[in-house]
This record gives sequence, C-alpha cells and structure tokens, in this order.
Amino acid sequence: MNRSPDVVVVGGGVIGCAVAYYAAKRGLRVTLVDRPQRGRATSASAGGLWPLGESVGLGCGVIFYKAMAGLGSLPDGVHGPGQLPKVFLDFAVRSNAMFPDLAEALRETGGLDVEFERTSLLFLMYDEGDVAFAKPLWEHCPCGRDLTEWLTPEELARAEPAVTREVRGALRFHGDDQVNPYRLAEAFRTSARSLGATVVTHTEVTGLRVESGRVTAVETATGAIPCGLVVNAAGAWAPEIGRMAGVEIPVRPVRGQILGTEALPDVLSACLSTTDCYLAQKQHGEVIIGSTTEEVGYETGVTPAAMKALAAGAVRAVPFLKDVRVKRVWSGLRPGTPDELPILGPVEGLDGYLNACGHFRTGILNAPLTGLLVSEMIAGATPSFPAELFLLSRFSGAIRRADNR
Amino acid sequence: MTPSTPLVVIGSGPAGLGATIEAARAGLPCTLIDEATHLGGQIYRTPSAGLRVTDTAALGKDFAKGERLRAGFAAAGGRVEVLSGTSALGVWDGREILWASENASGLIRAERLVIAAGAYDRPVPFPGWTLPGVMTAGGVQAFVKGNLVRPGRRALVAGTGPLLAGVANRLRGAGAEVAAVLEAGPPWWPPEPLPAVWHGWEFMADALDHWQALTAAGVPFISNHTVFSAHGTEQVERASYGPVRPDDWTPIHGEARTAGVDLVVVGFGFVPNTELTTLAGCRHRYAPELGGWIPERVPFFETTVPGVFAAGDGAGIVGAAAAEAEGRVVGVTVAEAAGAIAASEADRRREAPLARLRFLSEAWRELDARYRVRGGLTDLATPDTLVCRCEEVTRGEVGAAVGGGARDLQAVKLLTRLGMGPCQGRNCAPFAATHLCQVTGRSPADVGRINPRPPVKPVTLGVLARAEGIGDTSATDPLDAVGGGAS
Ligand SMILES: Cc1cc2nc3c(=O)[nH]c(=O)nc-3n(C[C@H](O)[C@H](O)[C@H](O)COP(=O)(O)OP(=O)(O)OC[C@H]3O[C@@H](n4cnc5c(N)ncnc54)[C@H](O)[C@@H]3O)c2cc1C
Ligand SMILES: Cc1cc2nc3c(=O)[nH]c(=O)nc-3n(C[C@H](O)[C@H](O)[C@H](O)COP(=O)(O)OP(=O)(O)OC[C@H]3O[C@@H](n4cnc5c(N)ncnc54)[C@H](O)[C@@H]3O)c2cc1C
Repeated sequence: MNRSPDVVVVGGGVIGCAVAYYAAKRGLRVTLVDRPQRGRATSASAGGLWPLGESVGLGCGVIFYKAMAGLGSLPDGVHGPGQLPKVFLDFAVRSNAMFPDLAEALRETGGLDVEFERTSLLFLMYDEGDVAFAKPLWEHCPCGRDLTEWLTPEELARAEPAVTREVRGALRFHGDDQVNPYRLAEAFRTSARSLGATVVTHTEVTGLRVESGRVTAVETATGAIPCGLVVNAAGAWAPEIGRMAGVEIPVRPVRGQILGTEALPDVLSACLSTTDCYLAQKQHGEVIIGSTTEEVGYETGVTPAAMKALAAGAVRAVPFLKDVRVKRVWSGLRPGTPDELPILGPVEGLDGYLNACGHFRTGILNAPLTGLLVSEMIAGATPSFPAELFLLSRFSGAIRRADNR
Repeated sequence: MTPSTPLVVIGSGPAGLGATIEAARAGLPCTLIDEATHLGGQIYRTPSAGLRVTDTAALGKDFAKGERLRAGFAAAGGRVEVLSGTSALGVWDGREILWASENASGLIRAERLVIAAGAYDRPVPFPGWTLPGVMTAGGVQAFVKGNLVRPGRRALVAGTGPLLAGVANRLRGAGAEVAAVLEAGPPWWPPEPLPAVWHGWEFMADALDHWQALTAAGVPFISNHTVFSAHGTEQVERASYGPVRPDDWTPIHGEARTAGVDLVVVGFGFVPNTELTTLAGCRHRYAPELGGWIPERVPFFETTVPGVFAAGDGAGIVGAAAAEAEGRVVGVTVAEAAGAIAASEADRRREAPLARLRFLSEAWRELDARYRVRGGLTDLATPDTLVCRCEEVTRGEVGAAVGGGARDLQAVKLLTRLGMGPCQGRNCAPFAATHLCQVTGRSPADVGRINPRPPVKPVTLGVLARAEGIGDTSATDPLDAVGGGAS
C-alpha cells in the first residue's frame, strides 16, 4: 500500500471493469473504485451484442423512434430510426469480434463464464412500413450483404417456430450475438484482480485533486488515493466526476425499463427486434424484454405503462409468451450522449485524466474495445483504433474550465 | 383516466378486515383486495370452496373468530367492493395500484391506501429443507384449514414460540401422529412460571390448551432443541434433531438423534411482508423485535407517505388480535381524514382498540424476548445446503461471495443470483443478511435489503398486456412513414 497506483479507475460498471482488466493485463498498477449505485446501467442491461442491428437503428432505437412518432414529437425531417455513423459500426464490429477470445481468456484468468452465445439478431417485419424500412438496410447494409439475410415468413417459421406467423418476414443480422452482462462485468473485475488490480467497492469518489493542470489524487469517502492518472468510467454519473476536475461532460441519464420472464426451456435461438420491443433468451432460460428510452433524470423506477407496453410487444412477437409469468421488471440509466457515441480519451488542458464514458445503449458490446483502447492510452502505446472521433473535444464549446475561486 | 377510489385496502386478514369494517361502518366506500379467494388472511382461513364443513368445532377457535369478523364485515354493508383472487402487483406514487386476477389486470388510484399484507414464515435453511415433506407452520395451517386433510402420517414439529403448539395440535386433529414438538428457546409450558403480563392473554391460554391436549396424548415438548436435517430420497423419511446452545441456539451436532417421520414442520416465527410498503415509497427501519424491516409509522399507523397506512403483521409481527386492533384504528383514522366522521367520534372509536394494543404490545414484547430467533441457527446449513431455492444458490456460494468482498445483499445477489428468482428474496434474504452481518460485523441497515420489484405477485405477460386503466402508448405504426420517406 505504500506505492501509489499508476491509475485509478472511477466506476465499477462494465466499462470501468474492462479498463481495469486491460490495464492490469498490461502490467499497470490499477485501482478500481466503485460505489454501488441504484440504476447502474450494467445491472439493467439485456446483454445484446448487436453491432449491426444497433448501428442501423434496431434494438432500442426503433422502439424509441416509434414511441416518439406515436407522440408526434419527431424532429423535422426525421424519417426512421437514426443510423449511426460508420465509425460507430467499425468500432462495434471490432469490439464484438473480441468476444470469443475474450470469453476464453476471462474463463482462464478469473474462472467465470460470461455466457457468450452466437445468436444472430432478427428484425421482425409486421407490415409494409417495416418492410420498407428493412429493404434498404438489406440492400445497402454498411456491413455488407453477406452478413444479412432476408427470411420469408415460411423460413422464419422454420427457424423460429415460437415466433408469430403474423409477419411479412424477417431480416437476419449474422454476427449479432449476446452475453450475460453482469457476468461480463464480474469476470472483468475478477480477472483484473487476479492480474493484480486492487478493487475497492462500496466507496464513493468525492473529489479529484488537481495540481497545476494535472490530476494527482482521487479523493474517496475513506481517504485520498494518489495516482498518475484517473479514468472516468462513472457511467451516467460521469459528469459528476468530470466536474470534480472542472471538465463538463455532456452525458445524461437515459432510463431503460426492462422485463424478465420466468426461466423457460429453449424457445428462441436468435435475439429478436421489433418496433415494440426486443427479446433475448438468456442462457439461464429467462426471456429478457426491453426496453424504453426515457429522459427522467436519475429516476430509477418502473412504470405500469412500460410494463404493459413491453408485455404487449412480447406477446405480439412470440404469442405463447402470453401464458408465461413475468419475473421482474427493472430499470437502468444509460449514459447518453448527444451524438450517441462514447466519449473516450484525454481532455485538452488537463493531464492525468481520461474519459471512458457515454456508452449509451451499447456499453456491453463496446466494453472490450473501450477497455483495450483506454489501457493503450494509459500506457502511451499505439492505439488499436483511431480515437479522434470519440474525444470530448468533438463537442464544440463543451469544455469549460472551472473558474479559480 | 385511472378510476379513483376513496379507500383501497390490500389484504383481508384481521388487519385488513378490521380497517375495512371500521371505514365502511363510518360510511366510507372501500375496495378490498386479496389474492386469496377467501377473506380472512393467514389465520382466519376458510376451507376451500367445494368442501362442506360438517363439524365447525373441528376447525377450532380461529374459525369461529374468523366467522365473527366476517359477520362484522357483512354487517358493514354494501359499501365494500371485494376483489378476491386479485393480487396487488405494485404500488406507484403511494396511491396507484396495479392489480391482476387470473385473466384481467388494471390500474386503480386510491385516495387513501391501507397495506395489510401480513407476514411470511421466516425461512431457516437446514440440510433437506427443500425436500417434499418439509413444510412451514403457515403452510401446514393453510393446508389443514383449507383441505381438512393431514399432510403426513408422522410429524416432527420444530421451531420457536407457543404458536407451534397450535400447529401441532391441528395436525393431530387432522389425524397425524406428532413425534415431538421441539422448541429452540426455553419452555413456555408448565411448570415454567409465566410473566405476569401473559395471564389473561387469550393467545397464551390457547397455546396452553393445545399443550395440554398434546401432552395428554403423549406428545413430548422438548425445549432448547431443534431439527438439524431432513432425509429421504423422494420425500422426507427421517429427520435428525438435537439440542442447541441455550444462549444463541447454535446446534450441538455431536448430540444429534434420528426420528422416523414423513413430515417436518418448521416454524421460526414470521417476517413482515414489506414489498408493497417499500414500492409505495414508505421509509423502513430495521426492528428485530418486530421481525425485521418494517415501515416507519406515526401513532395512528400512517406511514411516511401521506395517505398510506400500514397495519398488522406486515408492519411488524404482532399477532392476529393486535393486527385486527391496528386495522380498526386505521379504518377509523382513514374515515376521519376523509371527513366521514368527526374527530371526537373518531377518538371514541379508536379508544377500545388502542387500549387493547397497549396490553398486547407488552405481552408480545415478553414473547419476543424469549422466542426471537438467535444467530446460531445459521449453523444448521452446510456448505451445500440450498439457501436460495429459486436460483439454487448454496450456502457455500454465498460464503464465497462474502469471502470475495461482497458486503451487502445487493452484491451477493449480483454475484450469486440469490434473490433473483420469483420469490424475490423472501426465502433467502433473511439467512443471507444474518450471515453477512455475522461475517462482516456490519449492521442489518448496512447490509441492506433486496429491493422488491414489481410484479410482487405472479402475473402472465398476456394478462399484463391487457391492463385496464393504462393508456395505449401508440396507435399508429410510425414505420409506415418510413415507407413514404425512404424511397
Ligand atoms: C435497459 C437497458 C438495456 C441495455 N441493453 C444493452 C444491450 O443489450 N447491449 C449493450 O451493449 N448495452 C446495453 N445497454 C447499455 C449498457 O448497459 C451501458 O452502456 C453500460 O452498462 C454502461 O456501463 P458503464 O460502466 O459506463 O456504466 P454503469 O454500469 O452505470 O457503471 C457506472 C458505475 O460507476 C459508479 N459510480 C458513479 N459515480 C461514482 C462515484 N462518485 N464514486 C464511485 N463510483 C461511482 C456507479 O455506481 C456504477 O457502478 C442497456 C442499458 C439499459 C439501461
Ligand atoms: C400456523 C400459524 C398459527 C398462528 N396462530 C396464531 C394464534 O394462535 N394467535 C395469533 O394471534 N396469531 C396466530 N398466528 C399469526 C396470525 O396468523 C397473524 O398474526 C395474523 O394473521 C396477521 O394478520 P394480518 O391481517 O396482518 O395478515 P394476514 O392474516 O397474513 O393477511 C394478509 C393478507 O394479505 C394478502 N396479501 C398479501 N400480499 C398481497 C398482495 N400483494 N396482493 C393481494 N393480497 C395480498 C394475503 O393473501 C393475506 O390474506 C398464526 C400464524 C400461523 C402461520
């Protein structure tokens, strides 16, 4: 305890744990500090790894889009859920490709199975509107034609007998998989610890000590931890940590409610995405049904309206679910950013500080590459992925230094 | 719009019935919700529909008391809407209740809400406790009263407190042989002198009657003993039992004996069912003398959420008589708040139940001092004993999670899945919390709780999808617009 750590990671969600793991793997001295917080996104997540689906606006995107359109509150000129820029897809595809080896490595190092599963993602087309939306995705998918597959209703019925027959077909995205999100975070943490990282749980970070433009220590409820560098991986609470060093971070909490069923025998082999909800059967047998996209601050409850809507969406997609019991409904706060891209890397004018936040709806998917990239930044190594587009400085005028009082 | 009701009462045990009777008698329309198909709650159960009761005496005094309460209820008149077979899945903003029956669900808004959801049997894991043939006292009570048949031929009854005698005697009445009644605490039966405050207490008088009947039938009562384990291939065939240390009830495994039984009944008291008060946003505190976590209440049992009241065992274990008295106080208070009766009249109506409560709480305090579960019982479970039945988490796995740094229930839950099953921690949280406190030296408040999540009762997706009183979010399919815009 007499040598100060090279790096302190603030936040023990999937992102902080991934950073700690990759940093420890490089031989860096790491301390992870986390205070368990109601609403942490990692505990709420569905664990979908859908680089293709998410980048073309499926998953939560399309549900949110439908809700906004239903309320008549779409911005002018918006027709259809937003596609994310190519750089997002590239990042996500790279990150997703890391999972098979990563799962093996985490099992060896930490002894935990992250339940990585190759599932593919199916977008169910209920009507002409859905078909018209899916057609161009299939024809001009930025990921290329070979990763997508158009299923007729008959083909869909053969592939997924439990799915409704009231469909025009489905668009399949090969390469969209799933994982158990809590296991993933836990496996990163356990493995990081086996590799020498120190994990401090139940401890709140209360301040950052900044001396002549450089972070020199992290202050916690139980004392200060001197460090060469701090990583802000505090999820939806990242702005609080940023402010401690005078950095304004445009992350906001975006609530997602999600519902889980009782455990069932294997009924779905693919993950499903519809305009009402998405569904994923986890290894344990439960079907996870997500999710809402709501701006309600740090509120972490669930609502009857969302429960009803998700239930109705699930029964529509997989009719026999009507007789299946709901086990739980819960919610989490996604770390949302204005352009839906994460915020990674250094901040101008402040040394000893890196961002690893703003992962919005894809933090599970993007955890491996984030962890790797940030660990490279910590070590000053050549980054595996160009990070310029993820820098905080992309938000013009977003950086305000705290006035020196 | 969500329909609004002046008063919703959740739970039709003595507390809920007491509240409903008083509120209705004062002229307030009420809606009474209970997941059971019959009114009466845990104690005043009625036999299942379809069974004809020929000998009401066989059902015991409780049945008669229940009948009296139900008669009072009938006299309260047509102001009560009864929703039997209807469970409350959750409470929002203190007053909105999502309910579900077998084939419908919906949201109702209550101007005032009484939560009287009772308690559940305190789970105490021991090897074999998940075998068929191991039942809780409450389970046996429900079984015998509901079906009027015996759940086994030869029973070992183990646990704590005078309630066990009633359970054992009821079993005997149903035709089962009772091998022994094992009391983990000190004796409460003769020749043990009883505290003065217990004289004239109906509850103890009943227990002593049961004791007398059982002793006359040759059933031994053994103090400072408990069940250690249950064994059998498909179902219980024998049980091992033995002495516990009088101070903390640690089992003395070296002195175990075996009994050939096909039924093991365990009753280690009750845990308040605080799921709904928690969801309603009421502040809770840890009160070991009342069974664990309970909602904080002001004198007439209003919680920290204005307009939300909590009564009976769900707000702290107090027994049937006190539950009814609390319910009556709440019913009068709600009626007063709603302007149905004047303050002076309300004071008058509260007098008798409040006086009764003063007596009962003193008697109950003495009972708790002797029979509250002690920490040594956690030693019954071995490393491979299931602690969480839903997710099949063993004591060893909980131990490993705690050893690995978990400092509260939430952390144990995330590491082991303990409490993630349909029972939401009811069967495992008390053990895991005690274990955490013992190992880490932290307080129950620090160790925390497993937060209940809606739905707190089973509901299918199909029923939920049809919920009444909730606006449909979107009628049009917006992707239709995409068709136009994309080409
Ligand atoms: C309903 C839902 C479904 C989702 N589904 C998917 C999906 O299918 N696929 C996918 O890839 N992503 C999904 N996501 C998104 C994903 O969960 C998030 O992007 C990801 O978990 C973010 O991880 P994080 O570590 O940044 O944040 P978090 O998991 O929120 O962790 C942040 C941590 O920082 C801690 N912290 C905050 N402040 C402090 C402080 N001052 N001191 C100490 N610690 C602090 C918090 O307590 C918390 O533990 C979903 C999200 C939700 C809500
Ligand atoms: C075996 C046994 C023997 C006992 N013997 C005695 C005795 O001799 N003397 C004595 O004083 N006490 C005795 N008790 C204790 C007594 O039963 C309780 O003290 C009493 O029933 C408490 O009344 P209550 O109204 O608070 O709760 P309960 O009687 O438990 O009623 C609660 C009601 O709420 C309903 N409910 C709960 N949650 C929901 C929900 N989400 N939605 C809808 N409905 C819900 C339940 O169905 C139940 O009907 C005994 C208990 C047991 C188990």
